[in-house]
Amino acid sequence: MRHASTGAPVLLLVAAGVLAGCGDDADGGGSADFPSDDIRLLVPYAAGGPTDLTTRTVGSCLESELDATVIVENLPGGSGALATTQLVGAEPDGHTLSLVTAGTMVLTPLANEVGYTVEDITPIGVMADVPSVLAVGGDSEFASAEDLVEAAEAAPGTVNVGVPGASTPQGIELQRLADDHDVEVTVVPFDGNAEMTAALLGGNVDAVLINASQDVTGNIDSGDFVPLIASSEERLEWLPDVPTFSELGFDGLTLSGSTFGLAGPAGLPDDVVTTLEDTLQSCLEQDEVREGIGEEYVPEEFAGADELAQILESTQQVYEPILG
Amino acid sequence: MGIADGLGEGFSVALDPTNILYVFIGVLIGTVIGVLPGLGPTATIALLLPLTYELEPVTSVILLAGIYYGSMYGGTITSVLLQLPGEAASVVTTFDGYQMAKQGRAGPALGIAAVGSFIGGTLAVVGLILLAPPLADLAVEFGAQEYVALTAFGILLVTYLGTKHPVKALCMAALGLFLATIGQDAITGTGRFTFDQVELFDGLDFVAVAMGLFGVGEILYNLEKTEKAEQIKSRIKNIWPTRKDFRDSSGAIARGSVLGFFLGVLPGGGGVISSLASYGMEKRRAKDPSRFGKGAIEGVAGPETANNASSTSAFVPLLTLGIPPNVVLALIYGALLINGVQVGPQLIDTNPEIFWGVIASMFIGNLMLLALNIPLVGVFVQLLRVRAGILAAFALLITMVGVFSVNNDVFDMWVVLVFGVLGWLMKKTGFEPGPLVLAFVLGAILETNFRRAMLTSDGQFDTFFTRPLSGTIFGLMALVIVYSTVMGIRRQRSGRPPALYADQLDAAAPHETVPGSESEGTAGVAATDGGNRDGPPPAGGGSTRAEP
Repeated sequence: MRHASTGAPVLLLVAAGVLAGCGDDADGGGSADFPSDDIRLLVPYAAGGPTDLTTRTVGSCLESELDATVIVENLPGGSGALATTQLVGAEPDGHTLSLVTAGTMVLTPLANEVGYTVEDITPIGVMADVPSVLAVGGDSEFASAEDLVEAAEAAPGTVNVGVPGASTPQGIELQRLADDHDVEVTVVPFDGNAEMTAALLGGNVDAVLINASQDVTGNIDSGDFVPLIASSEERLEWLPDVPTFSELGFDGLTLSGSTFGLAGPAGLPDDVVTTLEDTLQSCLEQDEVREGIGEEYVPEEFAGADELAQILESTQQVYEPILG
Repeated sequence: MGIADGLGEGFSVALDPTNILYVFIGVLIGTVIGVLPGLGPTATIALLLPLTYELEPVTSVILLAGIYYGSMYGGTITSVLLQLPGEAASVVTTFDGYQMAKQGRAGPALGIAAVGSFIGGTLAVVGLILLAPPLADLAVEFGAQEYVALTAFGILLVTYLGTKHPVKALCMAALGLFLATIGQDAITGTGRFTFDQVELFDGLDFVAVAMGLFGVGEILYNLEKTEKAEQIKSRIKNIWPTRKDFRDSSGAIARGSVLGFFLGVLPGGGGVISSLASYGMEKRRAKDPSRFGKGAIEGVAGPETANNASSTSAFVPLLTLGIPPNVVLALIYGALLINGVQVGPQLIDTNPEIFWGVIASMFIGNLMLLALNIPLVGVFVQLLRVRAGILAAFALLITMVGVFSVNNDVFDMWVVLVFGVLGWLMKKTGFEPGPLVLAFVLGAILETNFRRAMLTSDGQFDTFFTRPLSGTIFGLMALVIVYSTVMGIRRQRSGRPPALYADQLDAAAPHETVPGSESEGTAGVAATDGGNRDGPPPAGGGSTRAEP
């Protein structure tokens, strides 16, 4: 099922979900009434991408763990604002949840009038963490991160680096590289990974700062991409030889990766948050879920409600002076 | 991947029962809407676009491509039998096809059209196989500058050269370019013309715009016309052409295949232009040109072959460069985007199942069409009895449900309705929606790449002319503009009608002498299949420019 279906089958499923929910009550969990209905799980991006894949994988696990129907709904548009507006306007009872990212919750509200802020949601936990890497093509003149940084310092603006979009964490990260560390590259926004990949392979940009999703790891394995810098705080387990920005002396540049969080509207009761947090944690321990999302993207240690809140909060603090 | 491996994979995809079913549905729908004068392939594909969201990407392209080339077959039937072109590309077939029908040779006319279409379609698929992979390899090297050059060239060809009224077309292209700027700036992320409406942040949805302008606009326009049920009186027998017919047509079919293939690759070159060009070529080559317009079988075979070949070769720029050369292909581009498939030079590598699967399905689809058309002509003709009102209500329902399902967004339904009314007004006033929609699609590619080129070249304009590929394309553009200006002046001096379209139709139409080389060369009518389907053209060589 690629799509939120409607009609009679759903009614049946909903009925089944309600019945199943009642059954749950009898077990006497902490959250007496949750879930008492089907759960809408929103994805602020189009079907088929990594966000969609992650949400659907987690959604189907939540469905079996909570014994409630989970309807995953793609509501792309408005840089995430369409779905998030629905989320923050929904009843805070745990039956409307959404995937959130620093992009939808921090960048979009800072850059546009969308009528919500990061305060309007209740974080539940981190579903996946996709780091970014700064990569060059296989035949690049830059053999190492130091080479590239030197070239950019010697002649500011001559090194062209592609990023996946205009206001993306990657774009802002490169701006911070210039503002805070005096390494100035020309930021060239593309529309998503595929365009950037084409531009790098065709030699039309010198490097890319790109989400290391599965298409990119494939290009790294084949040698078409050579990763020079990782965006994570620690070196990536699957790229042990690639230094981080911090190691190279660029402190604080750890925000260009993407964290896919799960959240509900503000004011979600604590017991509901706990139920969802626990369920998410046990889901992320299941092999099936880990493989579905991609083993390397599931956080090694589960990051729950507090950790997600902290990630969003610290991103907000860094981005506000730049964008606000 | 070699051609053999590719085709192997392609056929394994295309022979999947689901895909066989959808190519069958596609060519069947194509034939049906080709027969019905109300809906052309553009409107139909626009209307069905959202439904493909439920399908695998390859299946959706197989379906839509089937509709496209299927309509080329279907349009022939009513052109021959009723002098009523079901879709624009079949206008030319009325010249000699209807005359053949009057002489009791409707069967051979339809038969040779089906055979020619089959050969043209199949040869074009072979051309696509040979040309696309090397072109895609070359296109990987394309930078922002090349995309700027190609999209600008495309917009030029489609608007300036490709329409009845170049000025009106330019206005529409400008409007399309403007509409493409709505939404977030792709380079800085600033909102433009969004009025703080969340729905407008990502710009207008292409699917909704196209469905409104083509689908709903077309439906509204057709509803204005009085309904009349057509009846076929003449009975069709001896559908298989004689050996002499084949001998007469073989050259026309061969030339039509090649001509159609190359014109189809050009922006705005598919469909009616290729059939007009083929007709002109056959008439000029004929020992006795006076036979044309009086039932010359070459006049049916050549154009029908050419329009089918062009509808296949139009896939070349889409699948290798990610640039749709005409409106139908823009819609198929939309279908791939809805499904999250990135269309560009890497498509053949990253989604070989789409490239080769679609190609293999074209072989199968053309075979099906051959099998469908020859025995079932009589059945299809009966479709003309369906009342337009019923069809319209049904189509509108599908449209509204469909567009909602793409983004689950009510706003898009309003976009469809607003653009539907706009499309209807445009049709009434002689503005074609084709240039608008194509400029809307290409405009986004053009602007982003222009800005990227400026970023990477430090704002130096000469970057467009110093790079060999983009320089060449801009050079070609200059040549086309100079050539067409010169031709325009010459034509004005000699008192000929200014519009290329009329000129070409006059040249192709019966009872007139062939005016030298002018009927070929410059590309004539736009790729807007919806543009000139305003009823049967006059029987003689009179003007078909009459506005509704």
